[in-house]
Amino acid sequence: MAEEMPDFSNVNAGSSSTASKIYEVKSGDSLSRIAQQEYGNANDWPRIFEANKDILKDPNKIFPGQKLKIPPK
Amino acid sequence: MTRHTRLLALAALAIGLTACQKQEAPPPPPPAAEAPKVEAQAPAPAPAVISIDSITLGNALNADKRVQQPTESFAKTDTIYAVVETKGAGQATLKAKWTYHKADQTAVVNESTQTIDATAPAVSEFHISKPDGWPAGDYQVEIFLGEASAGSKKFTVK
Repeated sequence: MAEEMPDFSNVNAGSSSTASKIYEVKSGDSLSRIAQQEYGNANDWPRIFEANKDILKDPNKIFPGQKLKIPPK
Repeated sequence: MTRHTRLLALAALAIGLTACQKQEAPPPPPPAAEAPKVEAQAPAPAPAVISIDSITLGNALNADKRVQQPTESFAKTDTIYAVVETKGAGQATLKAKWTYHKADQTAVVNESTQTIDATAPAVSEFHISKPDGWPAGDYQVEIFLGEASAGSKKFTVK
């Protein structure tokens, strides 16, 4: 008879790197939301905008599927 | 041949020459929409030439993202870090698959991925924590580079 396995549904997970990360924009994202998720501070959004000026002209216009460089923390 | 007939013949010859000249005219340029749009094409991503150098576990990180003290034994309240050092440059997707093992059963604890764009050897970390504490037992983290397994580490929680 199989033993009952523990519940891991409340596990928190994260990741980071000394290299730039590549983030694929999802529906509902904004640069400040991505900055909050990646840096823990929504006010760090200009770092992401600066790193992606080759593809972003307006920080308020990002689109699902775009791949943004996230500079290391 | 009458004068009238000669005039008709000359007129026919002139029409024929004009028609020939029209056929030899150069073809019109292609519509602008068919022009190549080189500027609109995104540059091809650099081929991934990243490889895994090492996988290390610990319960705290230094500022350089390496573990302070490598260990494979953790307390129930620890945050568990898996640090992956890579060599080479390029884009690559790293995945950490954390599992719990009891007898012959396996439960997936968590799966996380991150895509990195490395220009030099890099240190990447994955971490997990559990607010109500880890069940004691045997665990494993397996690291994937793209779709391929690049190595694993077993650890215990006491």
